[in-house]
Amino acid sequence: MKRVVSLVLPLLVLLAVAASCGGGGSSNGVVNITVWHGYEDVEGKAINAAAARFNATHPKIHVTVQNYGNADYALQKVLTAIRGGAEPDIAYLYGSWAANIARSPAAVDLAPMIQSDPSIHWSDFWPAERQAVQVGPKIIGVPALVDNLALVYNKKLFDQAGIPYPSDNWTWDDFRAAAKKLTDTGNKQFGWAYVADGSEDTVWRFDALLWQAGGDILNSDNTKAEFNSPAGVKAATLLQQMATVDHSVYLDNGNGNYANLFNSGKIGMLFTGPWDLSSFTDVKYGVQILPGDLNHQTISGPDQWVMFDKGSTRKQAAWTFLKWFTSPQESLQWSLATGDLPIRQSTTRLAQYSDYTSKYPGVATFVVNLGNAAKARPVIPTYNEVSQAMGQAIQAVLLGKAQPKQALDSAAQQVDSVLASGQ
Amino acid sequence: MIRRAARSEHVSGWLFVLPAVALIGLFGIVPIIWGAVLSLQQNDLLTPPKWVGLQNYRTLVHDPVFLASIHRTLVYTLLFVPISVGGALAIAVLLNRRIHFSRFYRTAVFIPVATSTVATGIIFNWLLEPTYGVANYLLGEIGLGPYGFFQDPDQALYSIVAMTVWGWIGFDVIVYLAALQGVPDELVEAAKLDGAGRWAIFRHVVFPLLSPTTLFLVVWSTINALQVFDEIYVTTHGGPLQATTVMVYYLFNQAFELFHGGYAAAIAYVLFLMTLVLSVVQLWIGNRRVHYS
Repeated sequence: MKRVVSLVLPLLVLLAVAASCGGGGSSNGVVNITVWHGYEDVEGKAINAAAARFNATHPKIHVTVQNYGNADYALQKVLTAIRGGAEPDIAYLYGSWAANIARSPAAVDLAPMIQSDPSIHWSDFWPAERQAVQVGPKIIGVPALVDNLALVYNKKLFDQAGIPYPSDNWTWDDFRAAAKKLTDTGNKQFGWAYVADGSEDTVWRFDALLWQAGGDILNSDNTKAEFNSPAGVKAATLLQQMATVDHSVYLDNGNGNYANLFNSGKIGMLFTGPWDLSSFTDVKYGVQILPGDLNHQTISGPDQWVMFDKGSTRKQAAWTFLKWFTSPQESLQWSLATGDLPIRQSTTRLAQYSDYTSKYPGVATFVVNLGNAAKARPVIPTYNEVSQAMGQAIQAVLLGKAQPKQALDSAAQQVDSVLASGQ
Repeated sequence: MIRRAARSEHVSGWLFVLPAVALIGLFGIVPIIWGAVLSLQQNDLLTPPKWVGLQNYRTLVHDPVFLASIHRTLVYTLLFVPISVGGALAIAVLLNRRIHFSRFYRTAVFIPVATSTVATGIIFNWLLEPTYGVANYLLGEIGLGPYGFFQDPDQALYSIVAMTVWGWIGFDVIVYLAALQGVPDELVEAAKLDGAGRWAIFRHVVFPLLSPTTLFLVVWSTINALQVFDEIYVTTHGGPLQATTVMVYYLFNQAFELFHGGYAAAIAYVLFLMTLVLSVVQLWIGNRRVHYS
């Protein structure tokens, strides 16, 4: 009997959950919509507050926000929900999934809505955000989060080494020389840290260098690899020289040690984003735009709100919510509460914006640096394969196991065959 | 009358096992069949699948990364199984004697088994960290190293072997300890009276009596070793330069990072067949040498 209960009970719970998820739709003129997100703590509170504000001011729509857990696995969860017809109206999904999402018939193409409704002020979003949601002619989401890489440095280590703080016209040579001076092998102190696990974390820092040298990841119609151009080799050579000749780079194996080490004063400089700042409590740090070659481009990793088709009434309600939630005023509220960068350009011109920059030291440079996020990674379904091939090549160079040109050429060959087969 | 009783016993018997059968069916048999179907498809788990017949298997045969992953899996298994089973036997024999604090040692040996893999992984990441890790510091004190461990493509797989042996040996020790308790004293006494030394007693009396346990542990450890994944996922992520991309890690990479569901299912099937063949061979050899009494 106990067995039966233990079997039946979870089934009942499952049914109950399924039934409650299947709810929604409209009742007494109020349209119910559901938003899935992975926010915790401060951000979790902020989104609940935002939903309450929206519901209070929009009597015809009721928004329910639900936490789906770790955002890393959100795509799988949403896909499973689509299979069962229980997908939400809106879900927070990573930018790198844009091309995959666009292939699902359940995801709404927002391009017609954006075109017919100027009140969204689409061009007010940062260029990097707009590029990230553009999949061919489709627009598969509204920007939800934007960040970028800047140079975060330990002021005390610079003072000790007697070198001036990084400037906004630093060259790669300036950067390399400073990293070398900041390195003290006996003291196990490094000038720079690089995530060398071959993952996208390895690749996107390289992308910034590649673009600075005038190169590109793929050609303009995404049919051939271009990262093995002379610009790519130049970027990879910088990494090689610093890691294997100067030994001024701490190679992080992808488990996030670099943040702890920076916070304990063992690392002079990082290429990192605003999300890391809150963990640097023990050191005095400064933020500067990245050092440059031909230019000072950075890379941005935007995420988005994706809408799913639950009928035209709910689509309209979801659209109203997204427009409201991503408006300049709401974007500023969000940034004030969470420290995230403002997702709209005009947010920075609001009166209250200075509260934000004074509350979160260092973010002002990250906001300015959004202007340097000129290019985006290719939005194609096979991007993960491109990334994996590049990651292996860069890792081989950093570990001194391959020469830059040879490594990038062989990765380019793999990428070309993936792009040719289209899978 | 008898028949009816037998039948009703049959029915209630089936009712008793129904929950287990249902669960095993749902989470065991169904995925096995679905996996077979999936392996014949091109399926990105996103858009409608496409039937491709045996194409996935044909691609696998020519996939250098897959072939290398089989090689790595076998190297790992060949190291992990003898070291963990042999090591466990040695530790169990030592712990089976009347020594001070033997309960403490037994607990200490078992603790890693009860520790979550994620915690183990984080600890080993720091212990084996090349620059700041304790391992290199201690080895440096006696004039060795520094080693790259997880960050050196030539050492990463062996580091994983060391970490997993540490993590799993406690289980084997406990099983062996239980078996050692079952060795009848009179047999050992008889051997002593016949003038056998300690090694001879172990070699000719104790070890043969442990053979069913040894067979179980070898088969069980081999199955586990062929499916090693968690420890790699929390430490090296299959790297550096794919040095620890074993079969299941490659499967994970294909299925959940590159969204090649069909291809990953084909990998799973190859692994399944490998495991089946190895287990059958082990049991066949073992059963001819095992003494059950």
